[in-house]
Amino acid sequence: MSTRRRARPSGIFRARRLGSLSPAGACLVYGLLGFWTVIVLFPLYWLVITSFKLPIDVAYPPKYLPFLDFQPSLHAWRYIFVDLGNDTRRPYFNSLIVASCSTVLAVLAGSMAAYGLSRIEYKPRIASILTFILLLALTSAAIMFFHVDWRIAGLAGLAIFFLAARALARRWRAHLGNSDILFWMISQRILPPVVAALPIYVMFQQLGLLDTRFALIVTYMTVNLPIVVWLMYDFFTGIPKDLEESASLDGASRYRIFFQIVLPLAKPGLIATALLVLILAWNEYLLALFLSTARAQTMPILVAAQNGTRGPQWWYMSALIVIMIAPVVALTVATQKYIAKGLLLGAVKG
Amino acid sequence: MTVELEAISKSFGAVTVLHELSLTVAPAEFLVLLGPSGCGKTTALRMTAGLESVTSGRILINGEDVTEVAPKNRDLAMVFQSYALYPHMTVAQNIGYPLVIRKLPRAEIERQVRETAAQVQLDALLERYPRQLSGGQRQRVALARAIVRRPAAFLMDEPLSNLDAKLRGHMRAELKHMQHALAITTIYVTHDQIEAMTLAHRVAVLNKGRTQQIDTPQRIYDDPANIFVAGFVGSPPMNFIAGDMAESRFRGPDASLPIALPETRNRVELGFRPEDCRVVAPDSPDCLVGSIYSTELIGDHVLVTCRIAGQGAGTLPGASIVVKAEKTFDREIGTRVGIRVPAERTYLFDRESGERLRAS
Repeated sequence: MSTRRRARPSGIFRARRLGSLSPAGACLVYGLLGFWTVIVLFPLYWLVITSFKLPIDVAYPPKYLPFLDFQPSLHAWRYIFVDLGNDTRRPYFNSLIVASCSTVLAVLAGSMAAYGLSRIEYKPRIASILTFILLLALTSAAIMFFHVDWRIAGLAGLAIFFLAARALARRWRAHLGNSDILFWMISQRILPPVVAALPIYVMFQQLGLLDTRFALIVTYMTVNLPIVVWLMYDFFTGIPKDLEESASLDGASRYRIFFQIVLPLAKPGLIATALLVLILAWNEYLLALFLSTARAQTMPILVAAQNGTRGPQWWYMSALIVIMIAPVVALTVATQKYIAKGLLLGAVKG
Repeated sequence: MTVELEAISKSFGAVTVLHELSLTVAPAEFLVLLGPSGCGKTTALRMTAGLESVTSGRILINGEDVTEVAPKNRDLAMVFQSYALYPHMTVAQNIGYPLVIRKLPRAEIERQVRETAAQVQLDALLERYPRQLSGGQRQRVALARAIVRRPAAFLMDEPLSNLDAKLRGHMRAELKHMQHALAITTIYVTHDQIEAMTLAHRVAVLNKGRTQQIDTPQRIYDDPANIFVAGFVGSPPMNFIAGDMAESRFRGPDASLPIALPETRNRVELGFRPEDCRVVAPDSPDCLVGSIYSTELIGDHVLVTCRIAGQGAGTLPGASIVVKAEKTFDREIGTRVGIRVPAERTYLFDRESGERLRAS
């Protein structure tokens, strides 16, 4: 910890502080930094001023400076807050609920899974996995083509699975390991979401849960789980096992160790992961498009809806996007110190 | 409380790292597991703690079989080499954690934490975090956390090896005093024979997963069971020369010496401790002859390393013999000297098995 000292680089590798640069060098460095800042921040600036423009001011040639190039107007803001009114507030509220609930659930379940994978060695038998897939296919075929009652088919499939898996596993001992499970998890994200969108739609339709926040929460949680597991696994493996062994001798149970020792130590990683997942859920468009129509509509859908029959309504979109990104920016600023630490922790373990 | 290990073994796949270790630690006894790295001593300790499963054998604490009991229910406290302090808790929270788990009332926890902290001189540091402490202070927090709840036994895994030499000596004395004052059964793992000799009531010497000898430090030193124990314990280590014995004499390529054992036997090792032999004139009778290779002044004595001139052969370099001499010893390197080895202070070992050969 504190006894470990970073070796001071010498000679040509010595890092120079900005303060020790020559005036010309300093000008160059700050000039470059300033230039890049403008590049990064300009789209945000453009977004904000567009939300105050009249449709006529959005047209070519571009107008850059409020009050000089064009007269700012509040018409877009009045439209989204007064004319749309509830139609803005409801999606906003939906987005808040869906993103935060799915994030909390994904981080909770995902970090527990990641902790399990980082501390316990699992040996799923290849025989069991193949048997499961085979019987799943057979059961589905029985239901679809031979019109067997789904309850009977399901139960029979499950019963045969447990019998066959046990018998096979005794003969065929080859098994997979934790890294395979981890890869399988992340492989779920390799699939383009649009491939899964239709089956998910059908599933929620059958369950009668279309256009509900619940459907979106469950979907986002599932979709983001692999990311949480993958990221948190790395953080957990970086935490020395001694601490947990010590706690277990002190009398702590596995759950107590996880919640009182491991999670607090993984806090930077946890916050960085949660923020990433929150942003993914907050901005998600495709699945929301399939799963929501009116009641459960989220902000990305509302923004996209401004590109209607009258063509893209840039001014309304800009105003909506400004209120949409505000909480994310606020949250990022609030948790900034953890994120910097989290990023470092992921890079250099220990 | 009594801790008993009954023939415990540990295998990882085909590799057996611990072979049937059996020992009984009496109440309030300080037992040290001593051995080189990889000898299985830490594995034995972790098995006692419940952190490693037991391949075969039984572990009993106070007569109760705990072989399959989870670590948290064994009522043991362990001090780790890395201290394993919880970095996100203050010193007071670290020390009090075992009590918090046991759901003691707040006031009671506070009282016990203060009391324990005072015992290890940490009272002024209770609000600090581990990262703000020195190595010695962290060590004391780990100790305090172990003693705060008066466990059935202490387990210590090389607790002093991360400290610098001076602090180690100091903490050694503290540990010994504390263990005496608390009278709690202690199993202590170390590879440092000085720690083993100074702290232990009894020492169990392990090598390659097998028990070599379990005895008091004095007897481990004076009466080693085999060549491994003889060579491992003692600093500088025991001298060994190879040869055969016949007619109460030991004859090797390097030397011919009278010995106490009247047996006839080939292929033996003769061992003697540096402090038992003396540098004498090279023409004295019945002594090893060689020349001084180096001399080191240690403070209250001088270590003289001699090379024995091989009898006859001459081409092979002879054995190195270390003699502990008076601090006034001042002969030049290269001087021819004799080394007197008193016959009653020698040990004989079978070269193949390493077992000690005793007068029957």
